Amino acid sequence: MPPSTKRLNNGLSVTTKVFVRSRNGGATKIVREHYLRDDVACYSKLCDQCEYSLETTPVLSHVPFSTAKLTKHYLILDTNIVLNAIDLLEGSQALFDVIIPQTVLEEVRNRSYPIYTRLRGLSKADAKRLIVFHNEFCKNTFVARQKGETINDYNDRLIRKVGEYYNSHLSNYGVKVFLLTDDKDNLKKCKDEHILALSLREYLGQLPNSEDLLDTLPSAQDDLQVAEFKYAEYYSQSRLIAGVKSSVLFQGPMNVSSYDIFEGTINLPSIFPKPILVRGRQNMNRATNGDLVVVELLPKSQWVAPSNDIVDETTLGNADNEDNDLIISDQERRLLNKEARRAQMEDESKLQPSAKVVGVIRRRWRLFTGQLSPNTITTNTNALNSCLVTLSEKSMPAVRIKTRKANDLLNMRIVVAIDDWPGTSKHPEGHFVRTLGPIEDKDTEQEALLLEHDVEYRPFSKNVLDCLPKEGHEWIVPVDLSSDEQLKKRRDLRDKLVCSIDPPGCVDIDDALHARKLPNGNFEVGVHIADVTHFVKPATALDQEGASRSTSVYLVDKRIDMLPTLLGTDLCSLKPYVDRFSFSVIWELDEDANIINVDFMKSIIKSREAFSYQDAQDRIDDSSNNDELTQGMRSLLALSKKLKKKRMDAGALNLSSPEVKVHMDSETSDPGEVEIKKLLDTNSLVEEFMLLANISVARKIYDAFPQIAMLRRHAPPPSTNFEALNEMLHIRKGMTISVENSRALSDSLDRCVDKNDEYFNTLVRIMATRCMMAAEYFVSGNFSYQEFKHYGLAADIYTHFTSPIRRYCDVLAHRQLAAAIGYEPLHPIQRDKTKMDLIVKNMNRRHRNAQFAGRASIEYYVGQVIKNTESSQEGYIIKVFTNGIVVLVPNFGVESLIKLEDMGDESSGLFDEKEFKLSFNDKIGNKRELHVFDKVTVYMKSVLNEMTGKRKAVFLLK
Amino acid sequence: MFKITLSPAERSYLHESLSCLSPIRPDARLNKQFRPLEATCSFLPGSNGSARIRMADGAECLASVKAKVVSLQLNNANSAQHLKNLIEVDLDINGIRDDSNLSSTIASSLKGSLVKHIPLEKLRLTHRYAFKLFIDIVVLSHSSVYPLTLLSLATYMALKSTKLPLLTSTVNDRDIEEQPMFSDDWESSLALFGDSSLSPPLLFVVAVVKDNIFIDPSPEEESVSENGICLTYANGKIISPLQTISLSPKDNTGINSAQILKAHALVKEIGPLVVKSLDEIVSDDSIKTIF
Repeated sequence: MPPSTKRLNNGLSVTTKVFVRSRNGGATKIVREHYLRDDVACYSKLCDQCEYSLETTPVLSHVPFSTAKLTKHYLILDTNIVLNAIDLLEGSQALFDVIIPQTVLEEVRNRSYPIYTRLRGLSKADAKRLIVFHNEFCKNTFVARQKGETINDYNDRLIRKVGEYYNSHLSNYGVKVFLLTDDKDNLKKCKDEHILALSLREYLGQLPNSEDLLDTLPSAQDDLQVAEFKYAEYYSQSRLIAGVKSSVLFQGPMNVSSYDIFEGTINLPSIFPKPILVRGRQNMNRATNGDLVVVELLPKSQWVAPSNDIVDETTLGNADNEDNDLIISDQERRLLNKEARRAQMEDESKLQPSAKVVGVIRRRWRLFTGQLSPNTITTNTNALNSCLVTLSEKSMPAVRIKTRKANDLLNMRIVVAIDDWPGTSKHPEGHFVRTLGPIEDKDTEQEALLLEHDVEYRPFSKNVLDCLPKEGHEWIVPVDLSSDEQLKKRRDLRDKLVCSIDPPGCVDIDDALHARKLPNGNFEVGVHIADVTHFVKPATALDQEGASRSTSVYLVDKRIDMLPTLLGTDLCSLKPYVDRFSFSVIWELDEDANIINVDFMKSIIKSREAFSYQDAQDRIDDSSNNDELTQGMRSLLALSKKLKKKRMDAGALNLSSPEVKVHMDSETSDPGEVEIKKLLDTNSLVEEFMLLANISVARKIYDAFPQIAMLRRHAPPPSTNFEALNEMLHIRKGMTISVENSRALSDSLDRCVDKNDEYFNTLVRIMATRCMMAAEYFVSGNFSYQEFKHYGLAADIYTHFTSPIRRYCDVLAHRQLAAAIGYEPLHPIQRDKTKMDLIVKNMNRRHRNAQFAGRASIEYYVGQVIKNTESSQEGYIIKVFTNGIVVLVPNFGVESLIKLEDMGDESSGLFDEKEFKLSFNDKIGNKRELHVFDKVTVYMKSVLNEMTGKRKAVFLLK
Repeated sequence: MFKITLSPAERSYLHESLSCLSPIRPDARLNKQFRPLEATCSFLPGSNGSARIRMADGAECLASVKAKVVSLQLNNANSAQHLKNLIEVDLDINGIRDDSNLSSTIASSLKGSLVKHIPLEKLRLTHRYAFKLFIDIVVLSHSSVYPLTLLSLATYMALKSTKLPLLTSTVNDRDIEEQPMFSDDWESSLALFGDSSLSPPLLFVVAVVKDNIFIDPSPEEESVSENGICLTYANGKIISPLQTISLSPKDNTGINSAQILKAHALVKEIGPLVVKSLDEIVSDDSIKTIF
């Protein structure tokens, strides 16, 4: 029975929609009332029949787009067009005056939420003249679902109805409305029903710049696909859900190894003590790095050891285990699970419980940067070419795209989107989005790097800039301090001898210090932090932008700011010789640096001097200099050494990473030389007091806000992380690292010394650092107090407070501290724990990305330096594979792979897994043995990788 | 429930006229004739099946069937016993407590006959999952002592109109568990009694006066009746339960086999007709009134 329509009043009637919702295995009949209006406006500026309320105005143009071949027209887009051509829709080359039926919007939302938000964004922007037409609420365009009609057919019919309506509605105004759809069935029905419809290709083909536009389209689905490969089909949704629920299948994010794109692990800490291994092309079954996947354990006979091979796109041809259609019942699977757990605990062999991917819940596909692989381009003409794009992300497979411009794109850094990975294709299929520029061009690489790490680098919007003080650079601290209630609460500390110590050339000065000997023999020590929250008020556009960027990103020659420059480098920055607002922490410390008293206050300071680390060091060391400021700095230094000792005694770790700095030629801004960062006493002076301030503030805000305090924790590393390293150390050097607690770890690291090799200890520290967990921000309500611990710093509670110009966590901590000392109340948004959880999640992600981006930038420049100066360097073997070794060169902070085939006779290679030894005959025929930790001399040169277009250090073993 | 108070003269007259060889009912009905009634099907949008029956005298009954997916306990060997639990009957008669004797007797006898005549295998979805039916019957008002006929008619129609969502996931999940998934289209759902040879049972209450049997007795007729018999009719046959009931406070005179045979024959005669007209309403939503 078709649902009846009842008229309610003039222009409004009601009907019902009946459907079945099957969720969590249930089946519920849902009946919804559905209201229809007859006054849904068409939003065309041409139309004089439709009426608009005060807030809305017509959008579609008076003078619609037209070409020689096409009359003036509007466009209606079908769902498949939006999903496949969203990039084109966002671009400014084609598709104007667009009508998105509500049906399409809903379908897009169900299929891909990111595209949905992009579409919504488009409807707010004016440039494309895009409207959403609520066809299902419009009496003229609503049709009831027919008996036996699938939801897709029904939606198609709804969309066709929109086409029919618009054409008749606007028939008097000389404008045609085309329905664009790539659904063949829908196109045919349009033809039958005499509705104007075109496929996207047909439409773009009639535009003047069709060549370029067609190229950005996803590969046409109707091309006859040659099945080059056959992947196992994914399990049905119902099987996946039930399996995961009954712990027969397991769900988790896929971590693909960066050495082997066909080896991944899935961490299931609540079920298995160690990650589950997924190895081989068939078992990976189209899962890519970061996807949320469902896996199934393989029978014990198919368990494998983690790969000791290096496999990337160049060395394909993995022997896959035969597909066997064994049916294993749930009952047997549970036994298998137990078996797997036992195997992991006891670990009698190298074989590890292995699994295969049986479903992908959510793809983590974003826009990727990469470059065309030249050897996959088949023809030289401008015909449609199917070629592979190697992505910059090493753990992603190459993507197949179809393009006519293959030859133009060669040696260009391009952006591609992945659309699909059909079961018959070896590679995921995607399409070209845009070109960034030529490979190795500095700006291109920088933009690629930022894109790759999802760093927002566009200039601040007008909305955000409007939140800045109107005075701009002219802003000064008010002269009359009693003019304002809030101002009266500030403490005037301008008489204190404050100075700042930062890296040379620092313009965003977050922190400044002072110390003074008190009459009672104790010290008054103050840490003064830029008062960013005075300018960044909660719930403003500026605040939201800060929260979304979360951190400044430091590249070798560029800084992407979290806050506009006016604040970062001027108004907030604690520049010398001028008055600045600050947030101060002032302690009374005794001779042994024990805290007697601590006080927090908003204040006004005037920095006497801005030192670089070196300047400060020189001034302290210069015994002839005895003015009060220098005395204060000496007190600070003495106290900081005591603080550091206390921290180390408590078990703080002294970890290491191969940090280098790239010097730029100041004129050409070409990278000149690489220098290993040197640490001065003054570095640690600043660091110690910042740590102290962070800890004191953490305690205070946790006290005031036990549920929502913004804190930072560092979980102890699981001992399994250290297993591999420990085994290497034990076998090669007879040493061990103990990991019961940070103290034991710290001590055992100190013991790892090779008398013949000074660097060895640092090497072990570098490798140990890689086994650690990452520190993370969190909201205090999510963990118990014991879990707050910061393992690396050996602090029971910690937060970030001291760099509000470049980190958003510090901004939040400032606000909480201000509320805790009664300066100003906390904004309601920041009292909402769920909102805070979201902010924290974003902060952690941005922070990680910023770190990676920074490292990638250094890596790129180091590559450039090596390009100019090829040389022999000392390196250390840190990993041995069956067919290669990884060597770290400390002087440049780079590591690289040397493949066996480049070192000697490949067939003579003998890999001893137990001894971490690779023996082979080198090029001259001499027998060589390489062990992990061996010191080797390598010849470094830089080679442009043809596949990825990345310049990388390539080592040749000497 | 109204109290019918007749004077002794009226009682005697009524009793006499019903006891005649060719009895005369006060409203001139034939002994196998129902009073006019109005029936509607599928009127509750949220239920899988529903029905409403209204008698001319204002008696009214609603019945609703809702289905819910439940998981079956697999280790239970006695699966027949298990399937019985897939039907739950809840009865609410206006003016009578839920836990009263009358309510619970009617509910249990209804459930007993339903379990036998609902195609339970159709409720079974997979090895692990099945639909459980929740049958809710509300008698809003009634004049009869025993409103069984009314609620059985409503229940019959509700069950007949019951549709179950269509399973789209696999049926065989004995070894590998799957979560059931259903088609989102309500129109594609399957009728519970779609192609089944079974049919829900109908319960008829007849009044016995001397040798005469009257279907659908009015309150007046009930009050002078000597006895009542409740018969169950399903698939063209009279089936158990068959029981005598007391329709009037008058001393019952006992029942003889001839009366039972007569009642049996009467219900057997009218049963198919009732089923036919009810089915017509179920199959065509536009018809509302019968008899």
